[in-house]
Amino acid sequence: MSGIRYSRDRRQHDRLVAFECQDCGWVSYPEQRRTCKRCGAAPAEFEEVQLAERGEVQTYVVQSRLPEEFETPQPVAVVDLPQVDGEGEPARVYGLLTETDGDDLEVGREVVARYRELFTAGDRPVHSFKFAPPRAESIGTDGDGAGDRGGEGER
Amino acid sequence: MTRDAYVLGRGMIDFGERYEDSFDDLLEEAYLALLDDVNVGSDEIDAAWYGTLDVADEGMSGAAVAHATGLFETPITQVVNACATGSDAVRNAVLAVESGQVDCALVIGAEKMRDTAEGLISLAAEKRVWRGRGVTMPAFFGMRATRHMEEYGTTREQIAEVSVKNHRHGSMYPHAHYKFECSVDDVLSSTTISEPLNLYDCCPVTDGAAAVLIGTEDLAREHAPELVRVAGTGLSSDSFVRGNDASLTHFPATRDASSRAYEASGYGPEDVDVAEVHDCFSITELVTYEDLGFCEVGDGGRFVAEGRADLDGEVAVNPSGGLLAKGHPIGATGVAQVAEIYEQLIGQAGDVQVDGVEVGLQHNIGVGRNATGSVSCVNVLERV
Repeated sequence: MSGIRYSRDRRQHDRLVAFECQDCGWVSYPEQRRTCKRCGAAPAEFEEVQLAERGEVQTYVVQSRLPEEFETPQPVAVVDLPQVDGEGEPARVYGLLTETDGDDLEVGREVVARYRELFTAGDRPVHSFKFAPPRAESIGTDGDGAGDRGGEGER
Repeated sequence: MTRDAYVLGRGMIDFGERYEDSFDDLLEEAYLALLDDVNVGSDEIDAAWYGTLDVADEGMSGAAVAHATGLFETPITQVVNACATGSDAVRNAVLAVESGQVDCALVIGAEKMRDTAEGLISLAAEKRVWRGRGVTMPAFFGMRATRHMEEYGTTREQIAEVSVKNHRHGSMYPHAHYKFECSVDDVLSSTTISEPLNLYDCCPVTDGAAAVLIGTEDLAREHAPELVRVAGTGLSSDSFVRGNDASLTHFPATRDASSRAYEASGYGPEDVDVAEVHDCFSITELVTYEDLGFCEVGDGGRFVAEGRADLDGEVAVNPSGGLLAKGHPIGATGVAQVAEIYEQLIGQAGDVQVDGVEVGLQHNIGVGRNATGSVSCVNVLERV
């Protein structure tokens, strides 16, 4: 698989940059395109906004059946990430969770985006984030998992 | 000027693990079953719409149908629209007949789900870009279950009741893949797949094919035992990530597609006697009751638990056993559902026949676009 498709949206994934529709306020993430997916404005006027790393779980599941490269149980959640300045709407983002006991998850729980190498595309590492409970509350780990970059496979 | 489209006949084959049969064999068998049901010559078929995702990578393009059926020198269009592929193929044939361009259209769908070496979970989890990576179909649908329980107090047992009902129906339906009955306890104690969904909340991996013939009123009067008109169709798309809170629990695409089909047909949810709906997972059917308007939003759990979706309920939902028992060979699924609604409307549904049916509805919801987008197709049929 070519790595090029992962370089196009890299800024959004590396730095939680999102795009707010100036007509309806919808926050587009991770894609920036020229039309609004909610109000249909075409072309829409988008302004860049910065998302916070901490957001709220809207819903989730805990996956038990996945290919070997994924750790299981593997929770996945839809998370609303607010804008850093506290204004406007949150972006609705979904993603895998790590360092999380599935029994500890619930709708409304706070989680934090933690950056890591998610996988490799050809020879290139692809960096983005997984969600995890805020550090002081993390369950079943005492580790400093944030920012891990080495090793093999999915983490 | 438009005219009406009718179902002229259907060809159903047994769904299941068809290891001995190739993709072409399945197409050929469905086509022959159709010709066995309706006495038309191949030279009377003006065009064909062909539904397949081609999971097995051997059925690309209309040429696959030409080879399997002998319908050469015939316009054949492949339709691909996620899990709404088969129903959208029907819809396209209906539009062609209504437009006056085509008098007699074959719709045929097929999928060889069990021939993929990599496995479907692997395909779903590893081939997507970015955030869709590692997110499987049971997760995409299961997230609705979590939120529905949280928001509406739906119970895990109520969700299981969908599977119990559909397996009960499937045990009586001759073409179903799995013909066993199960209890709520069986569902709750089956292997965890994507919590809160267990194995018996998930449809099996199934090979299959199905065909229907769509044509003019004149042809229907000549060939069909009863006049079954396609009263309305609807197709729509939506996304998980548009910030629409309804999509956390429901499928706005189903709401829009069914609104279109209801409006075109002049019928509403209260008129529907029998429905074949998309139950790829138990929770999918539960929220679909609400999206189609069979009950109030939030009431799907009670709707199934109180037997209102049973064969003798308010709306008989999935008399065939649905995808949960019958199986879900993607390209064939929607075509088979239309064939089953047709069988209900002409009174030839055997052990799962529903009494007094006049209006039937067929529904699919599919997922695509990096596991965020959904697409729905709804077709409403009536006995004239």
